[in-house]
Amino acid sequence: MLDERHCAAPVASVRDLKVYFQSKRGIVHAVDGVSFDIRDGETLGLVGETGCGKSVTGRSFLRLLPVPPCILAGGSVTFHTHVVCKACAGVGCEACDGTGRQAGRDRSVDLLGISSEDMRRIRGDRIAMIFQDPGKALNPTLPIGAQIAEVFLQHRTEELIALAGLPPDTVGAIRRFASQSPRFGDGWLLSLPGPRRAQRLRVEESLAKMVADALAETQVPNPGKLMARYPHELSGGMRQRVMIAQALACNPDLLIADEPTTALDVTVEARILELIRNLQQRRKTSVLYISHDLSLVRRISDRVAVMYAGRIVEIGTTAEVFANPRHPYTRGLMAAVPGADTPRGKLAAIRGTVPELVDPPTACRFAGRCPHETGTCRSNDPVLEAITPSQSVACFIDHPAQSGERPTYERVTK
Amino acid sequence: MQLRDYILRRLMVLPVLIIGVSIVVFTLTRIGGSPVGIYLSHEMTPDEVAEIEARFNLDKPVWVQYLYWVRGIAMGDFGWSGVAAAPVADVFPLKLAATMELAIASGLVALFLGIALGTYAGARRNRLPDHVTRIVAVSGASLPQFWFGILLLIIFWAHIGIAPIGRSDAAIFASIAHPTGLYTIDAILAGSPTALWDAIWHLVLPSVTLGYGATAIVARMMRSALVEELQQDYVDAARAKGLAERIVLKRHARRNALVPTVTVIGLTFGFLLQGTITVEIIYRWPGLGRWMADSVLRGDQATLMTYVLFTSVLFLVVNLIVDLVYANLDRRVTLGK
Repeated sequence: MLDERHCAAPVASVRDLKVYFQSKRGIVHAVDGVSFDIRDGETLGLVGETGCGKSVTGRSFLRLLPVPPCILAGGSVTFHTHVVCKACAGVGCEACDGTGRQAGRDRSVDLLGISSEDMRRIRGDRIAMIFQDPGKALNPTLPIGAQIAEVFLQHRTEELIALAGLPPDTVGAIRRFASQSPRFGDGWLLSLPGPRRAQRLRVEESLAKMVADALAETQVPNPGKLMARYPHELSGGMRQRVMIAQALACNPDLLIADEPTTALDVTVEARILELIRNLQQRRKTSVLYISHDLSLVRRISDRVAVMYAGRIVEIGTTAEVFANPRHPYTRGLMAAVPGADTPRGKLAAIRGTVPELVDPPTACRFAGRCPHETGTCRSNDPVLEAITPSQSVACFIDHPAQSGERPTYERVTK
Repeated sequence: MQLRDYILRRLMVLPVLIIGVSIVVFTLTRIGGSPVGIYLSHEMTPDEVAEIEARFNLDKPVWVQYLYWVRGIAMGDFGWSGVAAAPVADVFPLKLAATMELAIASGLVALFLGIALGTYAGARRNRLPDHVTRIVAVSGASLPQFWFGILLLIIFWAHIGIAPIGRSDAAIFASIAHPTGLYTIDAILAGSPTALWDAIWHLVLPSVTLGYGATAIVARMMRSALVEELQQDYVDAARAKGLAERIVLKRHARRNALVPTVTVIGLTFGFLLQGTITVEIIYRWPGLGRWMADSVLRGDQATLMTYVLFTSVLFLVVNLIVDLVYANLDRRVTLGK
């Protein structure tokens, strides 16, 4: 899946991220001290049940959280932008040691601290997102082509102007048109017969070509025709392909995929996953794949992070976590997945429900549901600590607290 | 395309609807009794009354009278207006032009100001601009027009004395030709700044009175539709593409929020027409509304029936336009099943 050489540098580092929500009942700790890295070129699967904070974590990369009621209470999300190797255009060559990146040109930004204008420049260009329901994430009143075109207008104005055969110092209404920042009267100016109108038509032609190319990447039949269609005229799978084309249009370093196949049926899901993986490998894009589907995450991820009640309880390589899950929650989740060799009858389930995240007490979040819990778990808060170089877990089973009883898998307390 | 078929089909249904409306209008008006009173005077003898009844076919059975009425309309004869002391068909266009000028002025104000205010408030939900707009809008929708109009009249006409009353200064009005009947347009055509200023100055207070309520309704509708749209996934998706908030709002959310608002705007048009009656009485505006009020009070049935028939047809046409705009805004709407 992943070449070891890439693993060194993270494309993004989340440190002690805390995202709270104001509600009538108090402050909900939706994400409460989450830390992890997304390495260059890898797929990190973020799994957890509904409401555990995985979507909020994903959205905080793009700061797509409504403030208020949302409070960015602390922590940082550091993003490392890469400069693509000039010699091989990101494919990997001798000059860049096969990484496809130009060494020494990286730049780090704290996504939570930058101005909204800087954030806007990163959105859709360096970090892109695919949403859960492509039927809702596409604007119903705009044609597909116009929606994808917006990404280029925002981030690829120079290329657009060059492709249209205009000089790079083009200014005025044409540049405003090519950067989607029209002023009052530009519409008239560019519609009246004359050189401006001809230039606008050339820009539109180039734009259509860029959009068609982006669509063709997702293997849709007849991209040229598809551009004029409206979202409601397409199937769910086609819509998600359009979303993917839109997200990958500017070759982002990081793709946040928030349950992109949940709204699709299983056969379409397989094809979409295949598509994402192909594009990712070709372009060396890192992916944060958010899902509640363990078997799916196992298939596609290099590493897995398991979230529970606003915390990451276990993180490691897919192979390690699935071969040797340490946290009782991870174990519970895996036991609940039916397999071909599972005997008929009742499936295993984790008893109880997710705790309310309003003013959580100092205790393990899983205490109360954990079959192995002890007094220690109810009065101490375990932190994520490494048990092997590539696997970490937040449980007293592997990191006994200073005082108190230590939980073990052998002793089942409930 | 189906668009032309749709318009044709709707236009073909129109006569059927009009016949239905005409029966309802005729029946309802006749419940009020025979219209003969408007043509009589106190000195008339029973013989003279009978003669007038015969002249207007009022001695025939009611359904025959209906047919006479319909035949008259088909031939362009809408009857005799006792109030205007002239044929309805002669006076109607002049009065209509005056009312339309007022309704269009307030309608345009309501349309643009309502959408602008609603967008402004919806994009700043639960912040100060939203609360201010809410107060302005709620008072606009709940203040009775007759009260608001009279209030403005007292302040600007009676006390300050800057606002005129009526539709025009008679001398200036007479100084230009009136090919369209719309005073403002005629003034522009005549190239007379004096007349244009006169027309606009007379329009201000009546159209503010008339347009306030409609603006309020459009603004409230726009605001809540926009708040709803701003919570949709596609708005976040647009932000995730790197679009500036301004473009997210204008190009994505507002366009979608206009879809339900357009329906309300169509209905608001009826509200405006109804409002012209009050406003024209308050400001002595020589339009349909005031004529109607007089006709109701004096039992001028020929005028009343024409007015109701006309407004019904107008309403049908406005709704057809609304449907077309609707389909143009939202491609998911398929016209005609």
